[in-house]
Amino acid sequence: MALSAGKAARVVYARDFCMSGYAEIAVTTNYSFLRGASHPRELIETAAQLGHAAIGIADRNTLAGVVRAYAALQEIKGYRPKLLVGARLVFVDGTPNILAYPTDRTAYGNLCRLLSAGKQRAPKGECYLTLDDLLKWQEGLLLVVLPQNNEEQKESDANFWNKRMAEEEGRDITLSIFEKNAPCSVTFSRGKDDPKGRMRSLFTTLRILAPMRVWLGISMPHHGDDQRRLRAWQDIARDADVPLLATNDVLYHCAERRELHDVVTCIRKHVTLKEAGYLLEANAERHLKSCDEIMALFREAPEAIAETILFADRITFSLDQLKYNYPDEPIPKGKTAEQHLHDLAWQGAARRYGSVIPDKVHAALEKELALIIKMEIAPYFLTVHDIVSFAKSQNILCQGRGSAANSAVCYVLGITAVDPMQIDLLFERFISEERREPPDIDVDFEHERREEVIQNIYQRYGRHHAALAATVICYRPRSAIREAGKVFGLTDDVTANLSSSVWGSWGSQLKDSQVRQGRLDPANLLVARAVKAANELIGFPRHLSQHVGGFVLTQDRLDECVPVGPATMKDRFFIEWDKDDIDTLRMMKVDVLALGMLTCIRKAFDLIRAHEGKSFDLATVPREDPAVYEMLQKADAIGVFQVESRAQMNMLPRLKPAVFYDLVIEVALVRPGPIQGDMVHPYLRRRSGIEPVEYPSPAPEHGAADELFNVLSKTKGVPLFQEQAMKLAIVAAEFTPGEANGLRRAMATFRNVGTINNFKGKFVGRMVARGYKQDFAERCFKQIEGFGSYGFPESHAASFAHLVYISAWIKKYHPAAFACALLNSQPMGFYAPAEIVRDAREHDVEARHVDVNYSNWDNTLELRTDGALALRLGFRQVNGFREGWATTLATCRSNGFDTVNVVARRTKLPKRALIILAEADSFQSISMDRREILWAVRRIPDDDALPLFAAQYVEEQPDEEIAQLPVMPLSEHVLADYQMLRLSLKAHLMFFLRDLFLNEGVMSCAQINTARNGSKAKCAGIVLTRQMPGDAGVVFATLSDEEGVANVVVWPKLVETFRREIMGARLMLVEGKVQRGSEGVVHLVAERIFDRSYELQRLSEDERQTPPSLARQSHPRDVRAVPKSRDFH
Amino acid sequence: MVIVAKVDNALRLSAVDRKATALGLTIGQPLANARAMLPALKVVAANDPADLKLLTQIADWCDYFTPLVALDGPRHRLLDVTGVSHLFGGEKPMLDLIRNSLQAQGFAARGAMAGTAVAARALARYSDGTIVDSGEEEQAMRSLPVEALNLDVTTTHALRRAGLKTVKQVASRKRSELVARLGATMLDILDEALGNTAKPISPRKPPPDYWQEQNFPEPVATEEVIQAALKSLTIALAKILERNGQGARCLEAVFFRADGVVRRITIEMGAPTRDPAIIGRLFHEKLDTLADPLDPGFGFDLIRVCAVHVERVVSEIIDLNAYENKRAEINFLIDRLATRFGTHRILVFQPYDAHIPEQAWAAVPAQHVQLSKLSWRKTRKEKDAPRRPLRLFARPQRIDFTMTQHLLWRKVQRVVVQSEGPERIAMEWWRHETPQSARDYFRVEDCEGRRYWLYQQGKLPEWFMHGIFA
Repeated sequence: MALSAGKAARVVYARDFCMSGYAEIAVTTNYSFLRGASHPRELIETAAQLGHAAIGIADRNTLAGVVRAYAALQEIKGYRPKLLVGARLVFVDGTPNILAYPTDRTAYGNLCRLLSAGKQRAPKGECYLTLDDLLKWQEGLLLVVLPQNNEEQKESDANFWNKRMAEEEGRDITLSIFEKNAPCSVTFSRGKDDPKGRMRSLFTTLRILAPMRVWLGISMPHHGDDQRRLRAWQDIARDADVPLLATNDVLYHCAERRELHDVVTCIRKHVTLKEAGYLLEANAERHLKSCDEIMALFREAPEAIAETILFADRITFSLDQLKYNYPDEPIPKGKTAEQHLHDLAWQGAARRYGSVIPDKVHAALEKELALIIKMEIAPYFLTVHDIVSFAKSQNILCQGRGSAANSAVCYVLGITAVDPMQIDLLFERFISEERREPPDIDVDFEHERREEVIQNIYQRYGRHHAALAATVICYRPRSAIREAGKVFGLTDDVTANLSSSVWGSWGSQLKDSQVRQGRLDPANLLVARAVKAANELIGFPRHLSQHVGGFVLTQDRLDECVPVGPATMKDRFFIEWDKDDIDTLRMMKVDVLALGMLTCIRKAFDLIRAHEGKSFDLATVPREDPAVYEMLQKADAIGVFQVESRAQMNMLPRLKPAVFYDLVIEVALVRPGPIQGDMVHPYLRRRSGIEPVEYPSPAPEHGAADELFNVLSKTKGVPLFQEQAMKLAIVAAEFTPGEANGLRRAMATFRNVGTINNFKGKFVGRMVARGYKQDFAERCFKQIEGFGSYGFPESHAASFAHLVYISAWIKKYHPAAFACALLNSQPMGFYAPAEIVRDAREHDVEARHVDVNYSNWDNTLELRTDGALALRLGFRQVNGFREGWATTLATCRSNGFDTVNVVARRTKLPKRALIILAEADSFQSISMDRREILWAVRRIPDDDALPLFAAQYVEEQPDEEIAQLPVMPLSEHVLADYQMLRLSLKAHLMFFLRDLFLNEGVMSCAQINTARNGSKAKCAGIVLTRQMPGDAGVVFATLSDEEGVANVVVWPKLVETFRREIMGARLMLVEGKVQRGSEGVVHLVAERIFDRSYELQRLSEDERQTPPSLARQSHPRDVRAVPKSRDFH
Repeated sequence: MVIVAKVDNALRLSAVDRKATALGLTIGQPLANARAMLPALKVVAANDPADLKLLTQIADWCDYFTPLVALDGPRHRLLDVTGVSHLFGGEKPMLDLIRNSLQAQGFAARGAMAGTAVAARALARYSDGTIVDSGEEEQAMRSLPVEALNLDVTTTHALRRAGLKTVKQVASRKRSELVARLGATMLDILDEALGNTAKPISPRKPPPDYWQEQNFPEPVATEEVIQAALKSLTIALAKILERNGQGARCLEAVFFRADGVVRRITIEMGAPTRDPAIIGRLFHEKLDTLADPLDPGFGFDLIRVCAVHVERVVSEIIDLNAYENKRAEINFLIDRLATRFGTHRILVFQPYDAHIPEQAWAAVPAQHVQLSKLSWRKTRKEKDAPRRPLRLFARPQRIDFTMTQHLLWRKVQRVVVQSEGPERIAMEWWRHETPQSARDYFRVEDCEGRRYWLYQQGKLPEWFMHGIFA
């Protein structure tokens, strides 16, 4: 919250007045989830403005928020209070809350171990602590006992404790003394009934074990009897001989936040504000208070205020002291890490290039190695190399990306497969010497086998030295309004309405317009309050989750650096800090990520090896094959990595990629950044020569005219990559490296959307001041905003482009293997299996139906008599079928099945499985009609037959004389196929309606694609995808029929008129104008739209089958054929 | 208009009206989806209890036609009209009467009559208004789709997949063939649909567990006779209740007039009761206070007393605890008063969980709460002085401090000698349009030992007296 100038002036005064007079020791941030109501940043800033000598961040059994506080402190200009790092220990055994602050680095390690221990025994996100734990790890911790305002543990925690209490019922426990030199053993009474005695014995215990390190923390909560209670506590403190410490037990930074605090309390307790009653605080007093206010409150006990200063002075620990150390690498004896990396690099170079290493690479290697040695980051590269080597030894495909990945060193170490001969490397641009940050390498692994790599890391480095980073799950607009709505008692419908008017979940604030879009009145008090609370709630942390693959590895014990807790997944552990925190503290992390396409490529390579006898890997696929580029230029890219989306497919014919670097640009171009920054069209125009390539330059007095040439020459003067934007900031807007770094961070996380605007004035203003055009500067900044968390630096683009090329190459030369691998790697990519199979068939791959006699779980390839490969669908395509059943079927097959009964008898599959097989028409090789088979399968006795009848399985069932069933029409076959497999090889649904539509003058999709530009046309088809990108309001729909697909564009004006048809139709008829782009991209621009879904009912006589609804916004892969809808009312 | 309900944590349409159907909305569709199609959609949240209540009322109303009314799923009502249709002029007039009167009440109703329940249900759905004589069901059912059999989803699907899409096609298959594949239950239903077998319906209101009735050969109209009949019926009923260890919370007396009009009076009790004296008295009170007297017209030919809602009587043993007895007396008093003056006029204080003192309680109908379960929040430990005054003013009273330590209340000057506070209570910000400042409460004692509960509020502090301690 920004303070006005007037307030700031007063603040300075306040500080001068009570400089070092008071330190707030008990501060709860919003990292005590749903308890604190202010961000660490807000608390730190307020404490600085109030002139507190120190501020102690103590969240509930966690250190998750301290790094944020630390980072916020670094950014404060002017007076900075001392930051005390601690935790509020909340116990399950009835011990009052105790604040624990480490005095030094060793004590900090103890606190981390203590919290880790509590987390280990609790479910994810919880921490069960007992007094015993504290006594075990208390060495060096300053302890403030808070007898008032105790936070209760949740009931589940209480249950945990009750169990333990039951075991120890009635016994006083003699604590074993853990520290060797502890003077005596202590008996601690667990008596429940005598709180005073309890408190006394607690103090006795603590005083003996932690002499001079115990305080009694008191606050003045305005409960009416504050003074009386103060006197009572003074007595107790005197008796126990511990000093009193004044606190305000802060929950938020300013009194106005009480409202939000009430809201989060309600969210936590699952009640509405009206029901909450005493769950809420009675007043708004628990905010950071000025020294004056504190002095007034504690006028009866000024010594308690003075004590806060003494307390803060005792602490020497700061997060600066967490020096990062690289893990132990298997460096051969007698070598340093640098030497080892040096040797590995040159060996690798020899492997890649043979005995003659090209000059360019030689030079690059020398330069990079020198820099690495200078930066002392050799162990980092060795670690990544180690992980990658393991993956390679297990035949797991992997590829690195990230800032440091685009180096010759990474290439020769085998971490990346982008040849530095092909692409200019930008290594030193990313590892800047000024920013002494660890380099960043992310490694993608096959998604199905990443777990092996992760387990290896645990084994290799040990659980004490390796853990995943956390991801802080924050409230986003949707979740915020949903939760806030509930608290205010808005009905589900209203909140659903509000939250659904937030398209996407990345916006930062709910605007009035969005509220109106939800047809609610933003002026309505209840709605307005809910929206206000939701807006404040956005960005609040909700819980910690594990990062998808960011590993933190250390030499020292990791659990002495940061508390480590178990993740939901067994044997997974994650720390309490996320990647930004790790970045702030300059710890090292390796991202071990999963990429579906790598799985697909590996499977394709395996299939090619098995069926065609040729071996390939990522580095040996033939490079720069013109036929591959030719295919991509035609937008023939279904299934190809990254460029298969509608937008990318539109771009391909315009960009006409012909060399590798074109793919790098293609990948980076169709991203939110360049699109928002309106950089796409200028680039295309320049590329096709319509517009001259020019470089904006500053006024002559401000610098060289070609200062941007170096930055932008690769992309024809248009900034496309993230780092170009950064470089622009440094070169054109004269950002200091520090400022640029701030900008990069603001860009990297949406949470700081607010902060990015701080840079706007600076960026645009300075560029304009140096003589750039306002328009250009603004566009550049818009693009930076657009990068947001979708930032795509050149190095990532290059790594991805490599996979684009390889997947395109496989598609071009091994289409059967490609389709098969794609299907076996689902879910991934953009298209549903139906589209993949259809595409394969269009590339002359024969597709064969699932069959009990031929199919396995996975899709397979079969050799045709003419030597080509055919794709045999596997049982994984069949809805509801299980892998185990498929395996049984395959093992029992031997010479094949010839009747349904043989299948049932030999495989002993449950009847359900047999029915699914029959429904999926997979008995075709037994050559019986689908209906006959189904009717026969249903006759097989149920699985849970009584033992008496079990014999029936052995015997053939007696023959049955029954009349012929009616013949199943083809249309019903197709519908049944769609229901069971979401695709049909028999025919397209539209095939059955063609005559009907022909009479209406409807063209097929293929005809649309060859129609004259500007001609009027009608087209009908099953809706494959609907997309509404960005805020533009344009809807793109893809229709499919038996001859192909057609692209439909609906302009915003029409969207409102035909909204119902657009969003609801499964079978859509569109009237409009054909628009043919110069590059051959054809759109049907809609003028009128009709929902003709009801026609689909004709396909199954009177049966209302839901057709394969391909109707979902955005992502077609989670589309399912809605099963058996039975609506008659 | 559509009605939505939460299914698996997602809002889905649970009912759609004709207009919405015409616009392409379907039951089961997610609301978000429907909204995407029709932003201006009018949405009502499903209220199952209310639906059920209404449907039960309809069933109640059906009692008029026959005592054997069955609920059949949430949407169907089955009436066994065997032997009663002549009372309504035959089957056709009866069916028309039922349908017309329901429609007149604003319901969309479909109906059919057949020899079996399955057939009637199917025909009501597919062929509204049909009447099929017993034995002719097969003919009527043949052309209906297989869904008309109302089989479970899997069975229906299996039949359709096999190409057996009409009842006729199903009926044409061998019985053994069907049993082997789809089980015997399905065959039973088929048989019933075709009129081969008939099952009795299971009536909705298992007649109340306990009831007594008296038939009069000649309709009775005089009050004495009615009272006497009521009394004897009550005593008989009480005996049955006692035998079963139960007491009634709700009793109903039903008077069937000779001309078909039915009058009912209901009494409710706060605790299960079976004392005929008490019950008799309550009936008496009720009859006395009826705004619209029990008009016997030509006289009643049947009077019935039913125990509609019974509960176990827990304290069988005579309780020697005086307090318990007292409570029973209080309960009876409450029942009597409430019966006479109306439930909403006999109130009791109930605590509410709120910081604001005047919102921490409310007066609610005494019959609606269990007195023993009222629990007030403890605000203090045994030894401490009370934090809340014994007497809280309904409306805080304005006071002034003429001097420090001198407060003026009710025109009397009081000198404060001791005070404690403040206890700061912030207003409930979500209730007020403009921010309200917090109240600072003080406990104050004057020189004569009187203790007051005061608060100040606002920027220019205004003082109020909110209660007194003694």
